[in-house]
Amino acid sequence: MAYVALSEAEKTYILHGVEDDFRCDGRSRRDYRPMDLETGLVSNASGSARLRLANTDILVGVKTEIDVPNPLTPEFGKLEFFVDCSANATPEFEGRGGSDLAQELILSLQNAYESPLAFNYRTLCLIPGQQCWKLYIDILILECGGNLHDAVSLAAKAALFNTKLPRVTATMLDAGITDLIISDNPYDCTRIGIETVPLLVTVCKIGDYVLVDPSAEEEVCSTVSMVVSVSMRNGQAFLSGTHLTGGGAMHRDTMRNCLELGLAIGEHLDRLLTKMLNLEQQRVGLKRPQIVGFLK
Amino acid sequence: MSTNAAIDLALDRVDWRDLAAQTEEQPRVYTPGEVLMPEAGFMRGHGTFVEDENIKSSVAGVIQKVNKLISVRPLKSRYVGEIGDVVVARVSEVQQKRWRVDTNSRLDSILLLSSVNLPGGELRRRSAEDEQMMRRYLDEGDLISAEVQNIFEEGSLSLYTRSLKYGKLSQGILVKVFPALVKRRKMHFHNLPCGASVILGNNGYIWISPTKGQEEEGGEGGFAQNLNEHVPRADREVIARLRNSILALAKCKLMIYDTSIQYAYEESLRYEAHELLQQNAIYDIGQQTQGRLRDADE
Amino acid sequence: MSGKYDLLSEQGLRLDGRRPHELRRIKCKLGVFEQPDGSAYMEQGNTKVLAAVYGPHQAKGNQTESVINCQYSQATFSTAERKNRPRGDRKSLEFKLYLQQALSAAIKSELYPRSQIDIYVEVLQDDGANYAVALNAATLALIDAGICLNEFIVACTASLSKSNIPLTDISQFEEVSGGPKLTVAALPTAEKIAFLEMSERFHIDHLETVIETAMAGCREIRDILEAAVKEHLLHMGSASDFAKVG
Repeated sequence: MAYVALSEAEKTYILHGVEDDFRCDGRSRRDYRPMDLETGLVSNASGSARLRLANTDILVGVKTEIDVPNPLTPEFGKLEFFVDCSANATPEFEGRGGSDLAQELILSLQNAYESPLAFNYRTLCLIPGQQCWKLYIDILILECGGNLHDAVSLAAKAALFNTKLPRVTATMLDAGITDLIISDNPYDCTRIGIETVPLLVTVCKIGDYVLVDPSAEEEVCSTVSMVVSVSMRNGQAFLSGTHLTGGGAMHRDTMRNCLELGLAIGEHLDRLLTKMLNLEQQRVGLKRPQIVGFLK
Repeated sequence: MSTNAAIDLALDRVDWRDLAAQTEEQPRVYTPGEVLMPEAGFMRGHGTFVEDENIKSSVAGVIQKVNKLISVRPLKSRYVGEIGDVVVARVSEVQQKRWRVDTNSRLDSILLLSSVNLPGGELRRRSAEDEQMMRRYLDEGDLISAEVQNIFEEGSLSLYTRSLKYGKLSQGILVKVFPALVKRRKMHFHNLPCGASVILGNNGYIWISPTKGQEEEGGEGGFAQNLNEHVPRADREVIARLRNSILALAKCKLMIYDTSIQYAYEESLRYEAHELLQQNAIYDIGQQTQGRLRDADE
Repeated sequence: MSGKYDLLSEQGLRLDGRRPHELRRIKCKLGVFEQPDGSAYMEQGNTKVLAAVYGPHQAKGNQTESVINCQYSQATFSTAERKNRPRGDRKSLEFKLYLQQALSAAIKSELYPRSQIDIYVEVLQDDGANYAVALNAATLALIDAGICLNEFIVACTASLSKSNIPLTDISQFEEVSGGPKLTVAALPTAEKIAFLEMSERFHIDHLETVIETAMAGCREIRDILEAAVKEHLLHMGSASDFAKVG
């Protein structure tokens, strides 16, 4: 993450605050900073979303393409993640500066979305073994204020909710070749079910305690964090992947705490996100979105 | 397990411009390249340049006339230091006989070994080249409060901490705002009535810390740190609230000084500390504080 | 001159309904982000660009002059066909140099010895005239950061219809429909050109006219940006009643 310098005294203050369950900005260990969401703001994408979490700012665009399915999974479509750390966020991301961080985020997401129980790849299938949808989920990090994994996964899920796949009909041509006709009508489309799409929750260990939504300063005070990816199914939270980050080591008991906390928070966030996405859709309507974007 | 988390829709985003006053007289605002006045009889200061016998603005801002000196101050810029300013700075590098510090300026500032007050004059007795000795007092990442003593030819600032009130900062929180929002006053160190202390650096770095007791003042020359001390919860609440109030003032583009901070703190008491992070609370505090400041001015 | 379509209809309207000298609609905002020293967002028609400025800050190394460093990047979802790499390709590197060139003409670098100014632009949506809109966004971001400029530096594109009528501010479709394209970056008040690039050929007889068309576009854009900057300042400053510092 973008490096923030802190003195030993500042770190001590943060550490003690975490112990007291009262962080520097008054939050408890389980609180998130305020978030701001908008979908449908990139017109060249099939689906898009922007999520701000304090001053972490993520823009996601989903683009679609017809592709040939992987022969090992003929009935599944494809997902590809791409993360770009814009130099707008910090000069350290200039050129290839952000590529390590980007790679880490891509792997986290791939890991979380890998299971078909987390993402229903069958819905992307067009003709088994021959044609399927491939979705490119392109993530642009515009500003970094800590807790990138969570923000990125929330934005990605929102963008998938917003994604409209044109309706495709198949016609049989001679010699058994199937031709695909993609509807031109922008209102004739299918949506992607996002109920089980996973969210990532970063559970950060500072001293003897764990917390969620670390700020950039808190991340510096932590030696190790666990990223928990949570997928909901029928109202229950499931673990769809996890990994450690930060280069330190964690005791097994702490790990259990992290998983429990991560799952509980993940469930809460999922419900919250779904509610706000539905609310936005109701207010904006499906036809003419009024984009707020960056102008306000 | 309870958690506080909220997602607002962009549709409901607060428009910060609503805080703009409906003043009858709007000051004249200048943009880069605009002519301010003919050169004759005036001296040009910051933010201006001379071309074709005219003084022109090089930044976007409001004009300032002090006798015959014309300058334009942008509302947002890196810190431009002046001798006598009080700053809060972070050590970025330990060098031979000096430290490089970050003061949010266009160049790193310098803290010379000879400008530092050390306990017992220890360092002055030894060979001053010993980097290890220097690191014992100020290492990379440490925060200090200091005064601008001098400005080098190329523009970088020379700081000093020889007075007892300056020195290494201990436990607390650093808040960063635009330098232009910090009012230039005589006093920059305040023990606020709400129960914490602030140092308002002219460079936009603001330090919030627990108020030190009388017996802890002085003696050590400002370099002692008690890292084992656990700041009590009550003090933490005041500090967190102050942090959020100051950031609210900054977000609403209000000037930051002891009175505005005090008003903002009082207005913030309606909310829990963590609720002050929400845009609606910030807007509310900004508006209330603005109102009180305007009433106080009249 | 050898375009596939005539960019101007019989009624004298362009494909998007504009008249030949009409600019696309401009919307902009200063101070979009908190972390950079200055930032701006700019829309010109459907081209959308974000610019961020860091600095001036200490430059690395020992050189005494100021360093102006740019990066031009395009989001992978900015174009209709997905773009594989946001930057590092030839076009981005070219635009990076062009931005540095143009901005160096505007920034008063003599005031920033040993300092570095980083300007980063990110194209979110590509609908033609990317470089021009990026430069315009960069100017606003520099002003937002309080960096001293000689004046606004502004860019505009121009082209020529089949019937030799000059057109201002070229959209993506007009760009790929053939026809020559000229980009000019200028300091409008001083009437100086800081950068000029053209593709395809212009007959020498028409070149002057097209350059003047682009310059006129620059002047108009400059006025629009100036008004936006003043409005922004009045709003920002009046919250604190323009309290004097010092």
